[in-house]
Amino acid sequence: MTLTVGNGKRKAAFTAAVAAALIFLPHVMPNDYWLRIYLVTGIWVMLALGLNVVAGFAGLFDLSYVAFFGIGGYTFALLSSDQFGIHLPFLVVLPVAAFLTMGVGIALGSTSLRLKGDYLAIVTLAFAQIFKLLLLNLDTPVNITGGVNGIFGFDPINIFGLKIESPVGYAYLIWFFACLVTIGAYRLKMSRLGRGWESLREDELASEAVGVNTTRMKLMAFAIGAFVAGMAGVLFASLQDSVFPNNFDFPQLVIVYCMVILGGLGNIPGVIVGAILLSVLPEFLREYGAYRMMFYGLVLIVLMALRPQGILGEIGFLTRKKKRPDKDESGVLKASTDLYYAEGGEAPARKAPKVRYARTSRVLLEVEGLTQDFGGIRALSGLSFTLHEREILSIIGPNGAGKTTLFNLVSGIYRPTEGRILFEGRDITGLRPHAIVALGVARTFQNLRLFNKMSVLDNARVGRFCRTHAGPVSVLLHLPRHRREEMETQKKADEILGLFGGRLTGYRYHQQAMYLSYANRRRLEIARVLMTEPRLLLLDEPSAGMNPQETKEITAFIKHLRDAYGYTILLIEHKLNLVRRISDRVIALDYGVKIAEGRYREVANNEKVIEAYLGRKGHGKRAGIKI
Amino acid sequence: MDLLLKELPQQLVNGLTLGGVYALIAIGYTMVYGILGMLNFAHGEIYMIGGFTGWWVLHLLSRNHQVVMNAAVVIALMIVIAMGVSAFVGVLTERFAYRPLRNAPRINLLLSALGVSIFLQNLVLNYQGAKARVFYVHSLIPESVRLIHLGPVVITLTRLIVIAVTFLLMALLSIMIKRTKAGKAMRATAQDLEMATFLGIDVDRIIVLVFIIGSALGGAAGTLVGLLFTQVDYYVGFQAGLKGFTAAVLGGIGSIPGAMLGGIILGLAESLAVTFLPAAYKDVVAFVILVIILIVKPSGLLGEKIQEKV
Repeated sequence: MTLTVGNGKRKAAFTAAVAAALIFLPHVMPNDYWLRIYLVTGIWVMLALGLNVVAGFAGLFDLSYVAFFGIGGYTFALLSSDQFGIHLPFLVVLPVAAFLTMGVGIALGSTSLRLKGDYLAIVTLAFAQIFKLLLLNLDTPVNITGGVNGIFGFDPINIFGLKIESPVGYAYLIWFFACLVTIGAYRLKMSRLGRGWESLREDELASEAVGVNTTRMKLMAFAIGAFVAGMAGVLFASLQDSVFPNNFDFPQLVIVYCMVILGGLGNIPGVIVGAILLSVLPEFLREYGAYRMMFYGLVLIVLMALRPQGILGEIGFLTRKKKRPDKDESGVLKASTDLYYAEGGEAPARKAPKVRYARTSRVLLEVEGLTQDFGGIRALSGLSFTLHEREILSIIGPNGAGKTTLFNLVSGIYRPTEGRILFEGRDITGLRPHAIVALGVARTFQNLRLFNKMSVLDNARVGRFCRTHAGPVSVLLHLPRHRREEMETQKKADEILGLFGGRLTGYRYHQQAMYLSYANRRRLEIARVLMTEPRLLLLDEPSAGMNPQETKEITAFIKHLRDAYGYTILLIEHKLNLVRRISDRVIALDYGVKIAEGRYREVANNEKVIEAYLGRKGHGKRAGIKI
Repeated sequence: MDLLLKELPQQLVNGLTLGGVYALIAIGYTMVYGILGMLNFAHGEIYMIGGFTGWWVLHLLSRNHQVVMNAAVVIALMIVIAMGVSAFVGVLTERFAYRPLRNAPRINLLLSALGVSIFLQNLVLNYQGAKARVFYVHSLIPESVRLIHLGPVVITLTRLIVIAVTFLLMALLSIMIKRTKAGKAMRATAQDLEMATFLGIDVDRIIVLVFIIGSALGGAAGTLVGLLFTQVDYYVGFQAGLKGFTAAVLGGIGSIPGAMLGGIILGLAESLAVTFLPAAYKDVVAFVILVIILIVKPSGLLGEKIQEKV
């Protein structure tokens, strides 16, 4: 982010400087030795950026990355040499190798991505080991890989008659691709895909619950990483004019990881700097060559302990200072509430359409005989109810009554033991959470699950993921679809965050969610689900942890959402005052069973409800108190 | 078929020996995973260091490949000192590589563990060389008792020692976990680290204890394998680590009885596979088992299915 963000002029100047450097650098290298280091550095930069998509963006611990590099290299070796007498041109082999590697990546990913982090690491490590065993042993009975001796003597690269044989030619070729990969990495990061990855890295469950197809996104990261590694493998094989099994072994994997970690996972300029540093630095420490791997091990340990964000991370002079209106000149924080009222309070939120919506008789959600067992505990037992369009229905009940379990079932996080859930007449039982969000049911969480390290704006924009569809090609080439969707997303984010006035807009756009006050985090979570354009909102204790003033405000806001915008709302709430004010109907649960349903008055005076809340009559002095 | 019947009991014994060793390694993985929820990549290196320590003890107590004192004492010293050194290294890694990351994202912990693994491996490479060290076990076990005939089965005394020691250690651990106060604290911490803190358990000490026990068992396994296969080099930790991990996952990661069961099953499976398949495919068996288990029943044989609380 830090290096290239800037106004148009700065960006142009920066691009010009980079271009000039790339043109002149091959010619100013002191000797062939350094020119070669310059070439290899370009390959490392590509590799590190590819791994950064997998490990940095998506947070997947992929230890088979170096095998993908090898698959690219060996594909080139087999298709462009005397090994089998196949001599395909470079411009054919490059995409073939890259897509083949991607295919292998997808195949490996689809079997192992269901596994959680550590398991994925072990399976991919095992795959890398098997790959190396194959390279070493596939020289008999038929000589395919050449065993330990590898394969050498490839066709020279020939691009439309332009032969690339000199190191300088390679320098331009390799760094051309390194630049392409860099631009691609930036475009991915700044797109819906980048936000999707970041959200799943932060909190996979929440990411799924706001509509991100996490399995697909992981697979995509895997595939893109493999694609880049395969491409780098081709260039490396051609440059070295040979491939050996030990070019694609564990040490290379560790080096690429060190580069990415040194630069900071996900930080593109950081990763480039990390790759350059770790390519060039060891050349100055050649007499300590034996200690090189030991040093890499230490780098990993020390960086993880002291600077997990990488060396570039948040170095002051690279990050531009942002104006913070919530701090006065002396640097003392002002309370956000004071600031909020100083700015005129919630004025924008009141500029709502004139229509007033109320509940209709059309059934939106229908729950039939829903039962959920956890081991021997029945958390919900045969629950049935219907919810009408534009109705506000509150679920109340003591702790452990099964309220949140109900939400987890409706939103697809759990699969019910028995029963059906129908949304607009469609059976959604057992669908994955992101698919349910796409149909128009979105939820918030009782214990807040924001993407803490993402900005307020990005938290909101992730909510648009399920309403946008630009794929990697569209994003990489900035096709019209991607640009249109990005504009729409921005417009929608302005509109939804604007509902909360100064609480979430202005300078707060770029603040990380973790720095928001508790109440504002609750608001942001509501904003995030509104971004998914839900027709049914599931709010799990929206006022939890709020003070009386804030509770009043959020009560009015929830009612406003229905009255002015026509959302249907299913609400879990403990503050009965809030429930009384906004609910059309109330359902009371106890031990997973519905004990009462109806208007607030009726439910609140129901014997069973009083009993559930306060205990049985005659068993304690406080029994019989009126709610 | 005749051959098979003759081979089978022999391979069962071999499998039991190997399985006991895998179980010892697997316990280290599973205990750390149970408490910290992390995969200790460096555990294989701890095992390797145990092997080297055993070699050094034997080396220092030998003159011209002959031990200078009672062979039984030497073997006991090898195992005990290897356990001590491995435990010490294990505690150091916990203190410097893992403790600072207690609240960090999981991937950071994994990367740090990877760093420890590379560091230890190359430390040994640099100071002990790449050549394998050979255990001269001939002086430890006299010719007369080297082979023991039990019906159709021939057992080497070393195998018997390995089986005896592994099962003794596992029994001791089981008693310790079940019966002692520290064992109870460990089980509590594994279930809920935060709650254990609230109840006055010094969680840091429990974690150190877990690393001591796990690493000591790994170190013992290293020396036992050294005695069994008579050599050790800087790279043995990698394969052994993968095997131990496979055993732990097979049994259900986090479960100590599961690790024991998983280790023994894996050892038997490998030995039996060798009866039917070329020896080169022995190591592939573990990978295949691992992948099948992860896809079919990721919670393992004795593990509990854990659902994330929302």
